[in-house]
This record gives sequence, C-alpha cells and structure tokens, in this order.
Amino acid sequence: MSDLLTCVGLERSFGDLKAVQGVSFSVAVGETYGLLGPNGAGKTTCISMIAGLLDPDAGEVTVAGQAMGPRASAAKNDVGLVPQELAIYPDLSARENLDFFARLYGLDTARRKRRVDEVLEVIGLTDRAGDRAGTYSGGMKRRLNIGIGMLHEPKLLILDEPTVGVDPQSRNAILESVETLATDGMGVLYTTHYMEEAERLCDRIGIIDQGTLVAEGTRRELVGMIGEQDVVRLKTVGDVQAAEAACAVVEGVSSTDVEEDTVVCLVDEAAPRLPALLAAVGATDADVSGVEVREPDIEDVFLHLTGKALRD
Amino acid sequence: MMGALRTVVQISRVELLRFLRERSNVFFVFVLPLALVVFIGLQFGGGMGTQLGAVAADDDAAASELVDRLDTAEGIEVVPIDDEDELRSLVSRGNLSGGVLIPDGYEDALRSGATFEIGFLGRPDATAQSLRTVVDAVVADQAAITGAASLAADATDQSVADLIDLAAQVREGMPGVTVSTEAVGGDELAQEFSALGQFDLGASSQLFLFVFLTSLASSAALIQTRQFGVATRMLSTPTRLPVILAGLAGGRFVVALFQALYIIVVTALGFGVDWGDPLATSVLVLLFCLVSTGAAMVLGSVFRNDSQASGAGVGLGLVLAVLGGSMIPLELFPAGMLVVARFTPHAWANTAMAEIVRRDGGIADVVMELTVLAGFAVVLLGVATFLLRRALTR
Ligand SMILES: Nc1ncnc2c1ncn2[C@@H]1O[C@H](COP(=O)(O)OP(=O)(O)OP(=O)(O)O)[C@@H](O)[C@H]1O
Ligand SMILES: [Mg+2]
Repeated sequence: MSDLLTCVGLERSFGDLKAVQGVSFSVAVGETYGLLGPNGAGKTTCISMIAGLLDPDAGEVTVAGQAMGPRASAAKNDVGLVPQELAIYPDLSARENLDFFARLYGLDTARRKRRVDEVLEVIGLTDRAGDRAGTYSGGMKRRLNIGIGMLHEPKLLILDEPTVGVDPQSRNAILESVETLATDGMGVLYTTHYMEEAERLCDRIGIIDQGTLVAEGTRRELVGMIGEQDVVRLKTVGDVQAAEAACAVVEGVSSTDVEEDTVVCLVDEAAPRLPALLAAVGATDADVSGVEVREPDIEDVFLHLTGKALRD
Repeated sequence: MMGALRTVVQISRVELLRFLRERSNVFFVFVLPLALVVFIGLQFGGGMGTQLGAVAADDDAAASELVDRLDTAEGIEVVPIDDEDELRSLVSRGNLSGGVLIPDGYEDALRSGATFEIGFLGRPDATAQSLRTVVDAVVADQAAITGAASLAADATDQSVADLIDLAAQVREGMPGVTVSTEAVGGDELAQEFSALGQFDLGASSQLFLFVFLTSLASSAALIQTRQFGVATRMLSTPTRLPVILAGLAGGRFVVALFQALYIIVVTALGFGVDWGDPLATSVLVLLFCLVSTGAAMVLGSVFRNDSQASGAGVGLGLVLAVLGGSMIPLELFPAGMLVVARFTPHAWANTAMAEIVRRDGGIADVVMELTVLAGFAVVLLGVATFLLRRALTR
C-alpha cells in the first residue's frame, strides 16, 4: 500500500452552503500533490478535514493507514499542518514558538532541542531566533508558520497557500524548502491558486472548484484534456466586454474570458480562426492592439473546465 | 497521563509568560494593588494622614488636656480650629477626617459630675466611624479619672489636681479596663475595624478585587490565542482537546494565583498585614482563583475581540468589586444592597476573609462561604469549557 493519504467522498456544509461536496483523491508516499482552485473553492475546508480539525459530514480520511478525525492522536502525529492564516504567537520568539509546538507534538527533550535548531536553520531564522515574532517581516512570519509544521518530521506535510502575501524572494525560498522536503521523501499536500507554483512543485494536481474536484492528473495529463487547442490572447482598446461577447460566437472558439484589457479565447486551432476573431472584434466599439498565440497551460484548463479564470 | 499533565503545564506556562510580557499588565499586577493598599491604609486605617479638628475654649484646662490626649492617640493629629462653622465646613469638604466640639464649661462639668455633651462631626464614612471610637474612648478615659478624682477630693479634702495624678497612677497599675460608649450608629462597626492593623483592611479588600480583575484581564490573552489561530493549530497536534482546554484554563489560574500570592506576600512582609489562619486563607484564595479563572474563561470564549474583552473585563471586575464589598466594606451596605452582594463571589470571599482576619476564624468558621465559592467555580468553569470547546471546534 503506497498511499500516504486517501480521501474518499469528503463532504462538508456550513449551514446551507455546501463547501465541499464529494471530494476523493489520494497522495502517494513521497508525492507532492497540489490542490489548485480559486478563492472559496473549498481547499481550506478539505484540509481542515484532512488534518482532523473538522469532522466531515460524510466521507473518510486515512493517513498512513489510520483513520483521521478530531480525536485521532496517532494519525495527527503523522501530519504537519501549515495553516493558511498565520498561527504563531507574535509575543513569543521564533525559538519559543517552535519549542512550544515541539512539546505539543510530544518530542522528547533531546529531539526537541535538535529539531528546533534544525528547523530554525531551514527557515533561515537562526539569527533572529530570539526576537519576538511580532517584529518579523511578513515573509519571516510565514517561514516560521511553515517551520512549526515540519518540527516533528511528519510523513505528510500540508501547506495551505503558504506563499500568500509574500515577497518574491521569500516566496522562492519557501518553494525551495518545499522542494527539498519532497526530495527527502516527505509527502506534501499543497494548496494554491497560483498555477506556476502548482506546476513547479507538484507531481500531480487536483483542480477544485465550488467544492468539487473537477479534474486531476499530472500537468501533462491536464493540459492534454483540452487536446490540441490553442490560446489566443487579444489585447483590446475600448469595450473589452463587447469584444469578448463577439469572440465567443466565432466558430471554433470553445471558451472565452477577460483578463483586464485582454480577451482570452480557447480555439481549436489558432491560424485559421484569427481572421474571423479580428473581424468580430473590429465589428464592435473595440479595437485590437495586440495578438498573442500560445500553447495552453493549466490556467487555460481551468478556464475550459469551469468557464472562468482561476484568479479574479 | 504524565505527558498530558506536562503539556497542560506547558500551555499554562506560555499563557503566563505572555501575560507578563504585556507592559500594561505589569503595572496592573505589580504596582496598582500596592498603591491602593497604601492609599486605603492611610485613609482608612487611621494613619498619619488622619486629621481631627478640635474647637475648644483656651482657658478650659480639661478641654486642653482632652485635646492633648487625642493628639497623642496613635495615628491622629489634632488641628485646632476657631469655631464650629469652620470646623463643619472643613470636615464636610473632606479637609479634616473628623472634628470634636468641646463647649465651654467642660472642666466644671467634669468635676461636678454633671452630664455633658461633646459634639463629634464626621462624614458618613468608615474613617469618621473609627475616629469616633477613638474620641469616645479618650473622653471616657479622661472623664473616669477626673470624675473619680473629684469625688475623692470631696471626700478627702485634698486638691483635685493631686488626686488626678494619683488616680492616673492607680489606673496605670490596674489591668486595662476598656471604656466603651453606648453605640449610637456605627460604633460597633468602628470597633470591628479598630481591631485591624493599618493596612489590613486595604490589603484584604484589594486582594479579591485585583485577583478577579487581573484574571479577567488575562482573558484578552486567551482571545488572542484564539485569534492568532494558535488554539486551532494546537488541535492539529496529537494533543487532545481536554488537555488544551485544561492548559488554557491553567494559564488563567496561574495568573490569578500569581496575583494573589504577590499581594499576600508583599503586604505581609512589607506592611505587616495579618492574613489570619494560613490554611483557611489558602483554601479561600485558591477557590477564589478558580472562580476568577472560570469567569476569565467565559469572557475569553464569548468575546471575539481582545480589546472588547479587556474593556468588559475591567468593567465587570470593578462593578462586582463594588457590589461585593471590595471598595466599601459590606458592613456599611444597606440591607437591599446586601442582597445584591450575595450574587457576587467577592461578597462571599470578603465575608470569609473578615471572619478569618478580624475574628481569628478558622476553616470551620467559613465552610459556607467556601462552599458557595466552590459552586461559583464549578458553574463558571463548566460553562467556559462548553463555550470554548464549541468556539474551537466549530
Ligand atoms: N467556518 C465556516 N463557516 C461558514 N462558512 C465557511 C466556513 N469555512 C468556510 N466557509 C465557506 O466555505 C467555502 C469554502 O471555503 P474555503 O475556506 O474552504 O475556501 P478556499 O478554497 O480555502 O478559499 P481561499 O483560497 O480563499 O482560501 C467558502 O464559501 C467559505 O465562505
Ligand atoms: Mg483557503
């Protein structure tokens, strides 16, 4: 049995809102799995159930062969959670925060001391270990937030959008440390709404929208789902909404979306369709000021599957 | 099991640490209680600040003597005042703690044994009450000696002045006879408090006020623990919910206990405050700390915002302290207010403390108060556990 994590038919509602409806997937030992979805897709809700913070309304979570739930201490021991919102004491130092959680994870004294030092090194906070976390920069706090999750060397590390609100440099450092952990054999479940992160880190990606997993696979498999299609991006001047509406009805166009002043069209083949697209926009109040044709990526897959953009 | 206990201690330790790192808390915990103990001691305990105004005829030897005697009484400074009106206004404005009016003819009246009335002016507060007792006692003392001497002079033809000296000498050698005047509103009360050391009353009333207040203030730290997401994160570790709840409650309890010990130890060592029977006081303080913990946990579970909780905590802490006799002694409460007081833990704690400190009570004398406090603690902690469990697992 090589599955580290299996989720079967997870469901969870908040009042009338079905936040998660029937999500099933699994993560193999040592695999990095990405949950990619827009705001409110249900990623955090899934993760809360997987980490045993929330009881699912239906479905089951198994971690390393053990059933997970709010009272499943043994299963929790195999999971390290890095919550989306910072969960650190700002009035304690990095070392004190790490030491505190190491105790909650039940590490014995010797291992605790060793791990705190090691983690400080990994997250690059050794120099500032004695300063209160409240005085750290946003990126440093994020790194501490992540460090706490890896203290007890869990089999599965869950990171919920760990790079939100982080400068590019810290972001890169975070991605690198996740890559290192994965190379060392730790299973990683990574949620994000940044396609680039999912593509860079993850062996497999699950696309989640409105509480359901709409597609799953490697990057190659996912892009393959939209077959031989091309992406045509028309930069426009004028009424971009009207331009989109005009493009949507052109033959061979399977879906359209607007990104700022650009109309994004998914078409069966770019070359023969371009004149019709340009003519369609020309017939509206808008003018085309630039054209770009490229191979589709995961963001386009999302557009194709859900009819909307991954990011608002 | 040991592991769980150790984790409870760790969570509590961190909560205490965080509480003490907050600067404003340090002021409230360390400085303010002592400042108030001293303040109340000076005001109420009849310390050097207690000034008694006296209006007396200069040519009346007995009146002058009475003024001297009052002046030598411990903790009282007599200020000579010209007339009754001035005295009245100084006392009513609070410039003087009280005043005595000695009408003309005091000496004659003393010698002849005629009835004589000395006026006492005081505001309706406890300071005046205790001053009044002192005045009563001094007057009675003087009257007894002079009266006895006059009678003896009549019988023996010796001079009254010689006999007064003699009588005073005789009295020295006699076992202390306490002279008490007939109770006219509040005298029993003054008697009760006159048994206290200067700082005793301030210290015991401040103890409960501050333990409760400090504990409620620590509910802000609990809300932060929830707000910061740390409480939820704790739940993602193998540590079980009951252990986490116990740790968070333990944090509040340690803060309360710390405050109590600080006030008790510092006032005992620094101001010689008598805290009565160690066992009874310990049990009382521990139970009150538990009640405070429960209240803080309820507050910390109900509110979502730490500054709201601090505000509500200070408000609630002060109101309960006033209603429960930590600001004005319960003995001065009108009957209706006493009924209200019964709903505050402070009133039960203050009543028990009065029994222990003022009347040398032991644990057996305060069983009822301790039981009620235990009841408060159980109910509050139960409600808090329910609310916090819900808040954390929602
Ligand atoms: N405790 C809660 N009470 C009520 N509704 C909730 C709660 N938690 C989540 N929801 C709702 O469930 C839906 C899914 O939320 P969730 O946090 O899982 O999304 P997400 O994919 O993590 O989004 P984001 O990328 O913004 O973090 C949202 O509509 C959210 O408003
Ligand atoms: Mg989320």
